[in-house]
Amino acid sequence: MLILAFDTATEVATSALVSDGEVVGERVSRASTLLEDVDALLRQGGAHPSGIDALAVGVGPGSFTGVRVGLATARGLALALGVPVAGVSTLASLAAGAPGALPVIDARRREVFVLQDGEPRVLSPAAVEVAAGVVCVGNGAVRYRGMLEEAGAVIPPDGDERHLPRARFHAALAGEFGLAEAVEPLYLRLPDADTTVAR
Amino acid sequence: MILGIETSCDETAAAVITQEGAIRSSVVSSQADLHARYGGVVPEVASRRHLELVVPVVRAALAEGEATLDDVELVAVTAGPGLIGALLVGVAAAKALAWSRRLPLAAVDHLQGHVASLYLEPDPLEPPFVCLLASGGHTLLLDVRDRSARPRVLGSTLDDAAGEAFDKGARLLGLGYPGGAAVDRLAREGDPDAYAFPVARVPGLDFSFSGLKTSLLYAVRELDADEVEPRRADLAASYQRAIVRALVERTREAAASVRAERIAVVGGVAANSELRAALPDAALAPLPLCTDNAAMIASAARFTGAISYPRYLALDAYASSA
Ligand SMILES: [Zn+2]
Repeated sequence: MLILAFDTATEVATSALVSDGEVVGERVSRASTLLEDVDALLRQGGAHPSGIDALAVGVGPGSFTGVRVGLATARGLALALGVPVAGVSTLASLAAGAPGALPVIDARRREVFVLQDGEPRVLSPAAVEVAAGVVCVGNGAVRYRGMLEEAGAVIPPDGDERHLPRARFHAALAGEFGLAEAVEPLYLRLPDADTTVAR
Repeated sequence: MILGIETSCDETAAAVITQEGAIRSSVVSSQADLHARYGGVVPEVASRRHLELVVPVVRAALAEGEATLDDVELVAVTAGPGLIGALLVGVAAAKALAWSRRLPLAAVDHLQGHVASLYLEPDPLEPPFVCLLASGGHTLLLDVRDRSARPRVLGSTLDDAAGEAFDKGARLLGLGYPGGAAVDRLAREGDPDAYAFPVARVPGLDFSFSGLKTSLLYAVRELDADEVEPRRADLAASYQRAIVRALVERTREAAASVRAERIAVVGGVAANSELRAALPDAALAPLPLCTDNAAMIASAARFTGAISYPRYLALDAYASSA
């Protein structure tokens, strides 16, 4: 089974092509060039788009626009290729890439997304509970490094790949594959309509 | 067959047209009701809705057009200008569709799309002409010389767009959002000469509508609360008359300045009945194609060129033309 996996919920786009559990290739760029990566991965694997059996896509939480680019791409691909899709939490992918670590994603407006008791939450970085010596990963951990380290967390260097929600883990975590439109974005926040209403 | 996709503002739209410009289907899912309670388009709300609707709308356009993706030879999508988060939904979906099938992709400018609403069957317009593009987001006078080149801008609004002026007037009159059609309806029962609302004359071929809205505000304020209701139709008629007069005068001046023999009107405001009546000799976009739709985007793609696989894979949306 050939799975194409990708995630654009953070400022990077990660993608991977996984054949029967084996990673054919992995790439990292930006959301606008996601399909360039996907195209390159398929050529690398000697595959044609019609050879894709299923998609695994990151549903966030993260940047609202980024999450939507990923899901719109997945839905477009699913429609054209007639393949099923599985949605995978971006936090879960980070956690899978750094066993034992706490995934922390930048939620902007001085908040972060974290997994707390297995549930995704949006919190102020100061409110994140970190036991001494706990490793924190993700772009939120990098951004609030000082605050989290002061609380006792250990943060890998900025360039460490554990900070990326790598798509090989989306492929590995994908559970049920189903209808693309049933895969929903994980926003965790209502649109702030009150502050953005047109004048 | 060309598949068009449009998500630049608050309509999620898809259409199937032929290479010759015959519309096979044009599906528009308006979000106006969703945004009505905010009194305008909320970008984040619009973008979320586009993601929910984009694939169902494409499916509906294919079904109504009695086509499948196998019949599609070109995918056309609005790349800008518009709300960036909204545009990105359509662009991502369109790129994915095109890439899956190795189809070419046309990245269409929304404004050229509006002009291209005039190039569809059964009555396609041949340039040259001067085109008034008036909508909630734009008020432009364009010198259209041929179908493929980007038209020269002769004039534009210095402040509010014409459609925005209608929306703001409607709000002052308690008519809700979107306001263009409501003002148009109410104005039919009113006296357009009841109030003299001045439209600022700015130099050149530009427009200014912000002062007009202020005049309406003062006129409403001068009335006691119980006097507003009986005068609402007169206020709407006079306000609409002022906007239409400004649009018509400037459009005729623009046509004279470039010696154009034909005038055309496109965009949401082109649906206004008084404007249509005031320009009896103009080519007017058909009513269903005045507001945002994807048939016009697919139409523009016939003339503005397609990008072949794989060059569009890094295509990005843009919020403004500048
Ligand atoms: Zn428009």
